Amino acid sequence: MLRKIKEKLFLLGITIATVLTILPLFHIILSVILNGLPVLLERGLAFLTDTVAPPGDGLGGIGPAIVGTFVLTFLASLMGLPIAILTGIFSAEYPNSLIGRATKTLLMIMMEFPTILVGLFVMDIMVIPMGRYSAVAGALALAIVMMPYVAVYTEQALREIPRIYREGAFALGLSRAIVVFRILMGMARKGILTGVLIGIAKVAGETAPLLFTAGGSYRVYFAGLDRPIGAIPLLIYDLVQQPYENYHQIAWGASLVLMLIFLAIFLPIRLSIKEVKM
Amino acid sequence: MIAVETVNLRVWYDNKEVLKGVSLKIPENVCFAIMGPSGCGKSTFLRTLNRIIELNENARVEGDVLLFGKSVFKMDVVEVRRQIGMVFQIPNPFPHMSIYDNVALGVKFNRLARSKRELDEIVEWALKKSALWDEVKDRLKERASSLSGGQMQRLCIARALAMKPKVLLMDEPTANLDPVSANKIEELIDELKRELTIVIVTHSPAQASRVSDYVAFLYMGELIEVGRTEEVFENPKNELTERYLTGRMG
Amino acid sequence: MKDRFKIFLLPVSSIVFGIFLLMLTVFLIASLPIFEKEGLSIYTTNVWKAVEGGEEFYGVLSAIYGSVYTSVVALIIALPLSIGFAVFVIDYVPAKFKEILIILTDIMAGLPTILYGIWGAFVLVPILRDYVMKPLYDHLSFVPLFSYPPTTGYSYLSAGVLLAIMVTPFASAIIREAYRMIPRVYREGVYALGLTRYEATKVLVGYIKPAIVAGTLLAFGRAVGETVAVSLVVGNTFNIHPSLFAPGYTISSLIANQFGNAFIYRYMPSALFASGLALFVIGLIVNVLGLMVLRRWRYA
Repeated sequence: MLRKIKEKLFLLGITIATVLTILPLFHIILSVILNGLPVLLERGLAFLTDTVAPPGDGLGGIGPAIVGTFVLTFLASLMGLPIAILTGIFSAEYPNSLIGRATKTLLMIMMEFPTILVGLFVMDIMVIPMGRYSAVAGALALAIVMMPYVAVYTEQALREIPRIYREGAFALGLSRAIVVFRILMGMARKGILTGVLIGIAKVAGETAPLLFTAGGSYRVYFAGLDRPIGAIPLLIYDLVQQPYENYHQIAWGASLVLMLIFLAIFLPIRLSIKEVKM
Repeated sequence: MIAVETVNLRVWYDNKEVLKGVSLKIPENVCFAIMGPSGCGKSTFLRTLNRIIELNENARVEGDVLLFGKSVFKMDVVEVRRQIGMVFQIPNPFPHMSIYDNVALGVKFNRLARSKRELDEIVEWALKKSALWDEVKDRLKERASSLSGGQMQRLCIARALAMKPKVLLMDEPTANLDPVSANKIEELIDELKRELTIVIVTHSPAQASRVSDYVAFLYMGELIEVGRTEEVFENPKNELTERYLTGRMG
Repeated sequence: MKDRFKIFLLPVSSIVFGIFLLMLTVFLIASLPIFEKEGLSIYTTNVWKAVEGGEEFYGVLSAIYGSVYTSVVALIIALPLSIGFAVFVIDYVPAKFKEILIILTDIMAGLPTILYGIWGAFVLVPILRDYVMKPLYDHLSFVPLFSYPPTTGYSYLSAGVLLAIMVTPFASAIIREAYRMIPRVYREGVYALGLTRYEATKVLVGYIKPAIVAGTLLAFGRAVGETVAVSLVVGNTFNIHPSLFAPGYTISSLIANQFGNAFIYRYMPSALFASGLALFVIGLIVNVLGLMVLRRWRYA
């Protein structure tokens, strides 16, 4: 009898746990849509192209922040991807060497590293010497955040290729560089692409590394690589802390845009593979 | 002339000795079969000949392998593998590349063709040699993964032949094929051995007797017996060989 | 054999090491001035005297306290949820819905944290204040945990709950993976003893205890490093209070909040770097331990 009751309670317990785990996601999505959609509908496309309205007066738009997010993500990819992919190749090709193992461990650690510290670091080595916030500094911080993800995905994609193909390629008398770049990477391209996209989705939504590097810019569109630049997450963070009602509305609208961008990158990847790590 | 000679070849995986001093002479332009029960070291032996065993970081090799009198360990490893082609147990054409590119790959990167036309000719030649040309000539741009298992294996043979190797290693090439496809590969071996040396590993004495001119019997990492195929089969000198040939050993 | 490929790749992969070491160096050097001025008092006192041109003094104990407090609250909530979710998904959900549930938690794990932040600040905090904190305070304020009047709702509890929501999918992914990989013979063996599903699950969850420890450590690492979402709900007040309903600081929210104007003071940047260094070390220890436990378990 007691056993039966325990059994029932257990089932109830894990069902509740599951509901409580998932429920917030729906609540968040719903809240963002309910609060953000009216803003988007009211302003239409202008919300995506205009600049932020003055405090307490209308909505304007988040054009510069959107441009900033794209510029920063692009620059970060430019800086981070080559290094990340080559590092991933290194730890895949030399898994038993001391450096190969150490690289793998370091990448795993950096994946979980507090991103605010990366922002602080880049501030110290770049923003202070340059004397101002800049797009390059923001992009560098994002590149550092992005690298471990892309490298780990690259490594895994390469390790998953059956040994028989490596042997087949080497048996043709090809050098290691050709085997890796022309054959193995071709075979692992889906896994590597997944890593690249996960990395991009990750940094497109990052706020903390940009706090003291990108600086933010909501009235001026792109002004140069060495000038401050905005980003959607940064804009939301700033606006939420303002006491103006219209700024909160803009923040919700921006959240909807950010959520859609994230889902547009993330969902296709996630649906095409089995497991992701973020 | 001797194509491949091994001198007291020993191989360890970690601390386990899997090849215990094998010395063999493989003459030119014959089919030489290595047979023995699974785990006898025959596949390891084959992998040592083109040094593909070096991909396994736990493997350690002692002794020597001479390719036409020159030690492969003193040659550039890329050069060794260019001269010694290899076909594997599981057909492994690169699935993301076209049929054409699979064959052209080694030729292209080893710069064995001077022009696109010459490359085309080599690919066609290799596919004809491997008796695949008629089946694929109209679909050279298709993915290699669209082929059947037997076709894939012949594509792997073509891929190796395209580099005009002097020696072709075959590691149980028919193990994963249906009987009809296996038959085709065996016919192919008969054709090819006129022009190059084939070293084939097989666990089937029947196959060894069908395709080979010479045969070596390995057991527990040791060479038990070697000789002309018909002599070994008709008149095995060692009792182990006899037991193996008559099917009294796994 | 000279491996030219390795020689070509080596400098590139050492960039990652370089960045990591440089980062550690930068934090150490930038923290030096405050260590020279105050010694370890920076970590052991709760003072924030920022005076332009005058006598400054900084002690970030309240932020360290808040980081640990909020992360512990988060884990107390997240741990049962993530174990329950993992067991439910693996053992009880039909294959069709399994995939959907996992995709949903993957979305949660990747969702930009600022979205948690805005939702936390505008939606979660009012709900917690009106339906959790107020009733508890009204009736149980003699309990130290509930002893602070929840006027705004920005508090350790809000940060802890928000963090729990954020790290549950992450911790649960690690536990789920381990739970799924329990060998079939073991699983069948347990049921063959005639145990109920509750009893069997208890045994099986015991079997993956190391993975649960690892998941807990790594989730703690995430929670302690999270910045923007926390800083929008924790209240940002120098405070060391036992009550869940009190506002406070965490290391990362302190940095996020104060660093922007730190440079008009002589020692504040250094003080913030020193608190960053503490976060650096805490994060490193927790993550290394977590990865070690996970690795040892996987190879065992």
